[in-house]
Amino acid sequence: MKYVARLLCLIVTLSFAATAVAEQSQELFNFESEQQRRIYAQLTAELRCPQCQNQNIADSNAVVAVDMREKTHELVLQGYNRQQVLDYMIDRYGNFVHYQPPVNSVTIWLWLLPVLMLVALFLFQLRRRRNVDEDDSTSSEVLSETATKAAQQKALLSNELDHIIERYRSKKL
Amino acid sequence: MRKTLFYVPLVLFLGLSLFLLSGLFSDPRERDAVMVGKPLPAFSLPDLMNPEQVWSPETLKGEAFLLNVWGIWCPTCNAELGYMSQLRNEQGVRIIGLYYVLPEDPMFGEVFDLAKLQVDVQSRLQAFGDPYQFNILDRQRRLSMDLGVSGAPEHFIVDAKGIVRAHHIGDINPQVWRAKLAPIYQQWAGKP
Repeated sequence: MKYVARLLCLIVTLSFAATAVAEQSQELFNFESEQQRRIYAQLTAELRCPQCQNQNIADSNAVVAVDMREKTHELVLQGYNRQQVLDYMIDRYGNFVHYQPPVNSVTIWLWLLPVLMLVALFLFQLRRRRNVDEDDSTSSEVLSETATKAAQQKALLSNELDHIIERYRSKKL
Repeated sequence: MRKTLFYVPLVLFLGLSLFLLSGLFSDPRERDAVMVGKPLPAFSLPDLMNPEQVWSPETLKGEAFLLNVWGIWCPTCNAELGYMSQLRNEQGVRIIGLYYVLPEDPMFGEVFDLAKLQVDVQSRLQAFGDPYQFNILDRQRRLSMDLGVSGAPEHFIVDAKGIVRAHHIGDINPQVWRAKLAPIYQQWAGKP
């Protein structure tokens, strides 16, 4: 009987799920001011559920997410501001729990690396372009220079060959 | 120069492959151990079987122990009861349970019934093994939240002065115990 009731409830919930997206958290919380309500909504959207990993605590119905929502509500009512609630959660669950990681010596690379890669790519491209330009302007000179060198070498070689032939002949005779 | 440049894409590719490969073996549940090095948070909670007995950080001091967050609703917790009993009996590991109560849903007529819970826990421990010196009942899950517990099973190693020395998310099996937890436990328990 209990299971039938649960199943019915599930079906009803699912059929309303599409319209309920904006109001994910099931608890009905009371707040003393609009500002508190706003802070609560903001916090539950940016706190990450430590159990289900890729959901914020507003979206998740894991036990720990429900507990964290209740705690957030309690702390907001006690007059905690956004940063104080965040610190409370980070004290317990680590930086993992906040969707905005702090900038420190490890995470700074997330921002630096793309910029560095862009700069490196730009410099590389610049160098390549300059090399190509230099190649173009110097190519004819280089070509003629190597040609004359090759001709000189060829002349030297044939000269030497003549010498050898000469010596060979003179010995034989 | 040109020759070294030729190898740059290969090196980049190998580096990226190794980085991604290491990701395949990392545990996504692994988080920064925030609690490690800190004293146990303040609490005052009843014993599960004997509610007149109240436990607090002071009453637990004196000997290092393994704090196991668990519940009979959690299949993995039940599965590790056997191995942890072995640890208690063969290696003398002091194991204290922190019983994690699931919230009841009044809409379905669920109410917290301590007597029924005690009976259920007792029969579960008889069936699978009882590794616990005693169990602390965390009905509101306040201590669990202060410890940064995200679910069950989770384990903490606490030294004789009440300082948390390790936080392990997930079950304890022979491999995890030998590779990760035993060295830390032995270091703080002062046993061979």
